[in-house]
Amino acid sequence: MSSDQVQIAGPEISAGRASRTQSRRRSAGGLRITLTQVLILAVALGVWEALTRITWFQQNTIFDPFFISRPSLIGARIWQWMQPGKNAIWPHLASTLYATGLGLLVGTASGFAVGVMLAQSRFWAKVLNPFIVSMNSMPRIAFVPLITMLFGLGLASKVVTAWFMVFFLVFFNTYKGANSVEQELVNFCRTLGGRRSQILWRVRIPTAAAWTFAALPNAISFALIGVVLAEFVGSTTGVGYLLTTALATLNATDMFASIVILSLVGVGLVYLISAIERRLLHWSSEFRND
Amino acid sequence: MSAMIGLRHLGKSFESKSGEIVKAVGDVSLTIEKGEFVCIVGPSGCGKSTILNMIAGFLPPTAGEVHVDGARVDRDVPASLGYIFQKDTVLPWYTVRQNVGLGLKFAGAARKDTDKKIDRLLRLAHLSNFAEAYPHQLSGGMRRRVALCMSLAVDPKILLLDEPFGALDTHTKTHLHSELLEIWRELGQTIVMITHDLDEAVTLASRVIVLSSPPSHILLEEVIDIPYPRDVFELRQSNQFTAHIQRVWKVLGNQFRAAA
Repeated sequence: MSSDQVQIAGPEISAGRASRTQSRRRSAGGLRITLTQVLILAVALGVWEALTRITWFQQNTIFDPFFISRPSLIGARIWQWMQPGKNAIWPHLASTLYATGLGLLVGTASGFAVGVMLAQSRFWAKVLNPFIVSMNSMPRIAFVPLITMLFGLGLASKVVTAWFMVFFLVFFNTYKGANSVEQELVNFCRTLGGRRSQILWRVRIPTAAAWTFAALPNAISFALIGVVLAEFVGSTTGVGYLLTTALATLNATDMFASIVILSLVGVGLVYLISAIERRLLHWSSEFRND
Repeated sequence: MSAMIGLRHLGKSFESKSGEIVKAVGDVSLTIEKGEFVCIVGPSGCGKSTILNMIAGFLPPTAGEVHVDGARVDRDVPASLGYIFQKDTVLPWYTVRQNVGLGLKFAGAARKDTDKKIDRLLRLAHLSNFAEAYPHQLSGGMRRRVALCMSLAVDPKILLLDEPFGALDTHTKTHLHSELLEIWRELGQTIVMITHDLDEAVTLASRVIVLSSPPSHILLEEVIDIPYPRDVFELRQSNQFTAHIQRVWKVLGNQFRAAA
């Protein structure tokens, strides 16, 4: 069976992969772990804050607030950005979030659809295999200037870049997932009277969806990377735009504040997706003990 | 004629990776009557599963013919046929009830018509209390019973069982034997079951077929004249049971020795 199955090689992530530490409940002994984590963070920030206030370190090491800012300044800047007014972060954050969400949605939907479709047709999977593999191995970042030229300075090029980053990841995982359905299961459904299309909807697509979900945490960070990159290259809004402006004005505090905001966005989106996954894939043995 | 399954000079050859033709099933002719419970035993690699797959229309034969319920099988799965695999074929995203109703849904039946039938099957398989459970909450033996109910829901006249209890412990297995006989008595299908467990074969079957090593042909047809209903727990201590085992083993053991 393996000889006539088409091999589309890609960086797929197995749906059965069990490590999902970010969604594991804090149980007994969890408090000690949390406290230790807080302690490590506090020490790191404290050292950073203290060293940038000592003149010798400022002059002889990288602990110069001009280059690496300091936690209190970064915190103050984020606070300042959160206040309404012309310096508020909200329009930029909204712009980045909107483009990321849209890119993620379009990328996941198209990757899923193409993945399921190609898994249905051995002929087209074989025909398209070399194109997909070579497209995937191209450095996608190199396309960002071209995408900007084609789609202009704004939402469209951000979404297209995010889509371009997400599509292949989701596609490969879905394709593998749809092909992972065992022949016995398909034959069994045939004896139950299932037609090809019925087996597709009730067996292949749910199996593939589990694999698609496994790819989503990575897809989120890919989408975010795509949007920020597009904002670097050509945009007048977004957190990526704030970063390039900060570079132009050599403002390390703004840069760190932007990075913190972006990280929070990424973590928030991953939590959101795991919550959806828990609801939709509650039947999966992966969540059995939750 | 009440023949349910007819195999006429059935043969199946495969092409191996290196290009040689390997004959798995040599020449098998067999008639199975309506309502019979036939077990097929034989050394591994003798094409037992291949024969079952050809009856189900999953695999085309390279020689001979398969007839099921009066019609020749040709690539399509015969309508009145159920198949239980050794592998788990329960859908994890559906509850037990939804799984059992899958075949009825495929046929486009309305929900209110199916509920009653599903309830009856679940009762028959002692699964009533687990109707709303998901497969990951069930034991291996229970999942086997769900798969059996899924098949039974579409009223098959024939059940093909491919080592359905192979992966279970003896205790669970014996209970399932008893339940299978109960279900068979109630619903009266024609059953063809493959097993490598000789005790299992003699416990359940009305006839045991012994196949040779490949290219396989039938070495022995042993009619098991122990009357039904059988008590699967008592049965094993009877002299009749032992006599049947010994007769079949004489033939089967030689095959194993020759294969070693």
